[in-house]
Amino acid sequence: MTESALADQLRLLPDYLGHHLTLTLVALSSGIAVCLPLAILVTRVKSLQWPVLTVASVAQTIPGLALLALMVPLLGRIGFLPAFIALLLYSMLPILRNTVTGILGVAPDILEAAEGLGMTSRQRLFRVELPLAAPVIIAGIRTATVWVVGSATLSTPVGATSLGNYIFSGLQTQNSTAVLVGCGAAAVLAIVLDQLIRLGELAVAGRSRTKGWLAGAGLLVILFSTLILQIPTAKGSAAVVVGAKPFTEQYVLAEAISQRLTQAGLRVENRSSMGSMILFDALTAGHVDCYVDYSGTIWANVMKRKDLPPRADLLEQMKAWLQREHQVRVLGTLGFENNYGLAVPRRKAEALKLASIRDLTGHAPQMTIGADFEFFVRPEWAALREAYRLDFRERRTFDPSLMYAAAREGVVDVISAYTTDGRIIEYDLSVLADPLQALPPYDAVLVLSPAAARRAELVRALEVFDGIIDDGTMRAANKRVDVDGESPAQSARFLLKAVGLSSPPDATEGADS
Amino acid sequence: MIQIQQASKTYDRGRSFAVQGVDLEVGAGELLVLLGDSGCGKTTLLKMINRLVEPSRGRILVEDRDVSRVNPVALRRGIGYVFQGVGLFPHMTVAENVAVVPRLLNWEPAACRDRVDELLHLTGLSPRTHRDRKPDELSGGQRQRVGLARALAARPRIMLMDEPFGALDPITRDGLQREFKRLQQTLNLTVVMVTHDMTEALLLADRIAVMKQGVLMGTGTPRQILRNPSHPYIAALMETPRRQADQVESMLRSGGEGQ
Ligand SMILES: Nc1ncnc2c1ncn2[C@@H]1O[C@H](COP(=O)(O)OP(=O)(O)OP(=O)(O)O)[C@@H](O)[C@H]1O
Ligand SMILES: [Mg+2]
Repeated sequence: MTESALADQLRLLPDYLGHHLTLTLVALSSGIAVCLPLAILVTRVKSLQWPVLTVASVAQTIPGLALLALMVPLLGRIGFLPAFIALLLYSMLPILRNTVTGILGVAPDILEAAEGLGMTSRQRLFRVELPLAAPVIIAGIRTATVWVVGSATLSTPVGATSLGNYIFSGLQTQNSTAVLVGCGAAAVLAIVLDQLIRLGELAVAGRSRTKGWLAGAGLLVILFSTLILQIPTAKGSAAVVVGAKPFTEQYVLAEAISQRLTQAGLRVENRSSMGSMILFDALTAGHVDCYVDYSGTIWANVMKRKDLPPRADLLEQMKAWLQREHQVRVLGTLGFENNYGLAVPRRKAEALKLASIRDLTGHAPQMTIGADFEFFVRPEWAALREAYRLDFRERRTFDPSLMYAAAREGVVDVISAYTTDGRIIEYDLSVLADPLQALPPYDAVLVLSPAAARRAELVRALEVFDGIIDDGTMRAANKRVDVDGESPAQSARFLLKAVGLSSPPDATEGADS
Repeated sequence: MIQIQQASKTYDRGRSFAVQGVDLEVGAGELLVLLGDSGCGKTTLLKMINRLVEPSRGRILVEDRDVSRVNPVALRRGIGYVFQGVGLFPHMTVAENVAVVPRLLNWEPAACRDRVDELLHLTGLSPRTHRDRKPDELSGGQRQRVGLARALAARPRIMLMDEPFGALDPITRDGLQREFKRLQQTLNLTVVMVTHDMTEALLLADRIAVMKQGVLMGTGTPRQILRNPSHPYIAALMETPRRQADQVESMLRSGGEGQ
């Protein structure tokens, strides 16, 4: 089982590694191309030194994930470009700072000798300052290399494929093999690149041909393999891009959609683990073709509506609004709701006689509530607090994959659960009723970008999903991943079979079943 | 060859002068030695000649041209300079250091190579053992010799030398001094040399110029300087080598009697 689980993960490696390498190499070489001249300019024009280095330092203090996410609204795009820009910014500080330090560190008597022997300032730069600063500059480049390889794993949530795909989806689906493969591959890549640069430096410093050839050959191999790994994704332009938010149900549904599309003969690319708003923006901009969203999420977060019409009304209004405002087509409701609900361990609910959220009001001041990263800033939370006058002693945010265990283990008293999550049953939690209907319904809806909506073969392949997945089936599919340790692809196969759809002949699981 | 006219240099807008109103002429083929206490302005004066330092006042002519109107890069390539701190390039080998100026002047690689070997021989270094070493693999004296070779490399007609033999042992120093003096005479080099060593000054100089606190106290041939110093300061300065010479002489004489 573990061996084939590893084999399953390794099959994804060429694609992830290829993207990761491209992103890293392009960001690094651009970083060097930008920073070396900039640093030289800074050493010549002293007044620029402070502002340039400060800006670079500030960019460095922004956490990697935030910097990447910031690029999306700034550039209005997802995918390679925001990841590239963020990583470029990230690579700048070490290269800039070391180049400036290196050049300014050249002893004044040596500079005077260069000048006194009749070197022009250009000759001084290339024959004396840069060679003498080279070890410090290269140390900066090596630092930048390691940082960029590591930070590139964070480009997954902005829609750029990288080794981070392993890590993000692995963390959500509790697949430690995937996480380990992702981390391991990134670490090996960082070490290999770092050592190659070191070898190149030694070759130049020691004037060693052998080391030079080795470093050159290593670099060529890396460049060449990057090209080779990129070929499958480079050909053809009409791949359908399927998006997913970072939690299990989304991975399973994205897999199910992908499998249907593949079977219909379409080429599919996955953009997993994207933030909710980033994903919607990407859809309207056409960078993502389809994904599953939830009516209540769009109602409260995108449409910013505070009123709550009946479920069917809300759906109709939302469909009309999406079509009118964004030309986004709602292909259908999948049939289940994945509501936000407040859940407490059943034993505690019984002890405190908690049946609805209303019963929680009195206990809240002694309780801690846990939720995912988004919940406390979403309008639903404000509505809930207002309706039930909830005032918890403490709020804590969790990665969704850890939140349920936190409730089970009593780390928190109440959580904002997703009602289709398999762990609600598994961990013996009970979901409290919402008699005041403060929370909107969250019908799962399949949304298509304007361009995707015009592709008949795509619409035909996905229409079949309308209304066929009920709450129980979805919860069972989620539980297979979260509790039983299946991969999202395996669970998607189960899901399709359960609702009477076929899935393409299996390449991934043949080995272990 | 070199004319220094009323040259002054101040680093603090005239509150003090590193060099003040110096008038000095160095003829073609002449070896002039600059003498004076530490901090009296010798290096500053030397650097004004090849424009490493721009004079605050006055002007300097080299080969009858005002240096402030000459392209400094071309000027410096035509003047050999031995730096007080040697200033070898640590990332270059001995051979590369020596060949810096010939390369700047686009000499053929073969010509550069031959010149390097010739100069290493001349300065008492073995091309085979030393040419591919880095400066940090040399002794202080060896480094100084490479600095001298580097200054001579492109066959300049003028040499500015700031304590060129300071780090050498007396025997090597004596040999190199004589070698240099011979070279200077055969090539008819014009030399301005700074030294703290009176004996060196007396033995090498055609003429000696004495400075004190930025001011030129006087010039003269070694003989004039020793016999009729034009200034009490010069007389005091010469007192030391004179007394030492007397002592050595008397020791030799008494030692002779003892045998
Ligand atoms: N760049 C500078 N800025 C300010 N003052 C300087 C500078 N260079 C030299 N000076 C001052 O000018 C004076 C003359 O310095 P210079 O280096 O010419 O002395 P020197 O005669 O060569 O001394 P030494 O025999 O110790 O080498 C000194 O008082 C020194 O402190
Ligand atoms: Mg000096």
